[in-house]
Amino acid sequence: MTAQLRSELLKQRTTRTNLVLLAWMVALVLLVLALHVLSFGSDDLARASNQMKILGLGTSIGALFAALLGALSITGELRTGTIRPTFLVTPRRSRVVAAKVVAGMLAGVGVGLLAEALTAGAEAAGLAARGIDIELGAGDYAQLLAGGALAAALFAAIGVGVGALVRNQVATVAGLCVWLLFVEPLLLGDVPAAAKYAPEASAGAIAGAIQSQIADALVAPALGVLLLVAYAALAAVGGAVVINRRDVE
Amino acid sequence: MLSVTHLTKRYGEVVAVDDLTFALEPGSITALLGPNGAGKTTTLRLLLGLAEPTEGTATVFGRPYRELEAPCRRVGAVLESGDFDPGRSGRNHLRALALAAGIGFDRVEDVLALVDLDAAADRRVRTYSLGMRQRLGLAGALLGDPELLVLDEPANGLDPAGVHWLRGFLRQFADAGGTVLICSHVLAEVAQTVDSVLILSAGRLVAERRIDELSDLEALYLELTTAPVA
Repeated sequence: MTAQLRSELLKQRTTRTNLVLLAWMVALVLLVLALHVLSFGSDDLARASNQMKILGLGTSIGALFAALLGALSITGELRTGTIRPTFLVTPRRSRVVAAKVVAGMLAGVGVGLLAEALTAGAEAAGLAARGIDIELGAGDYAQLLAGGALAAALFAAIGVGVGALVRNQVATVAGLCVWLLFVEPLLLGDVPAAAKYAPEASAGAIAGAIQSQIADALVAPALGVLLLVAYAALAAVGGAVVINRRDVE
Repeated sequence: MLSVTHLTKRYGEVVAVDDLTFALEPGSITALLGPNGAGKTTTLRLLLGLAEPTEGTATVFGRPYRELEAPCRRVGAVLESGDFDPGRSGRNHLRALALAAGIGFDRVEDVLALVDLDAAADRRVRTYSLGMRQRLGLAGALLGDPELLVLDEPANGLDPAGVHWLRGFLRQFADAGGTVLICSHVLAEVAQTVDSVLILSAGRLVAERRIDELSDLEALYLELTTAPVA
């Protein structure tokens, strides 16, 4: 298991895929933050609850890119055929999936921290530029960074699991994007009582920040952790079972 | 060593491999021949634990491949020349496999030198020719210093010097006690390299011959694979 984990960690850093992914994430955070901080009215921006909501963008974007990173680590191998030499060396396939989950979670911590720190920094810079005071405290930022890192790590595990279940790279990436960018925000708007238990809302609860109308109705952070751990475990175990059973093309 | 018993693989109505039974002798080179779609690659995938048989068994060293401990120390396999991430260098491809197998990076350098890829090892695989990819695949198969080599079309894309080298390498490997199973289309090359041939047609074994008992491999092959099978 440690041997396979070391192999997966080497794979992560020996193609440009993850660097390109991070570059896109940085660009997206900066663009979205600039749009929000520059377009909102000063009165709105001065309120702590709105400052928190904007930070929620970092949570969502971090979760999305961590999930993509996890998903690409398995669908990339299925697409290029490198899964064959991988399974020839390690025919216990669940060991490979487990190593990808752990490697993805380690990278996810970095992705989450980067997304949240960048979001917080960009918001602070934007507010300062407009002469608006920051109403958030050290506790808010601490929860944002720690919670965002944990949520992104769990989303990386979800990504690996979904990738193993769906197998097709384009379908997996499209599915994750559609769910996180469209479906869940719609659910949060229309059926918040149920949607607060969904994965992205759980991530928002953990980090204390979500870009949505239900920001006040989120579950408690501890319940958010439990929910997201359950989703991650479900996806990873489901993915491992499917990868174990199906023939490799 | 390597043994296949009543091996059958069906995909819905299609029978890819049909009641196949054969075994390999240690220290020999055997070629699995047959037209496209005869079931050669499927047979290799079943042997290597990448696909599960519908019926029958395929074992290496007495066990299904997926139950071997540290399989790459006993079996080295190359299935397709494209099984690489095009964005990763040859050396890093091998290092990722070596880490998973618990093999030191010095062995990576050994196999790179053996297949004459040391100069290109830091280039991304997308810049490699087909022959270089073949040699990188072979390097990966040799990482664990295995006793059995399973190679799908290993000469495909190699230049004449490369083919000559491969022939010598496989002979040396077998003479040292190793066993080789290759799939091939190139009958003239096979006739020069192997000890025996297995001919597949429509998933069935239609001939099993020692090469020195054969006067004309091509005639036999064409007769068996183009005539309707009774």
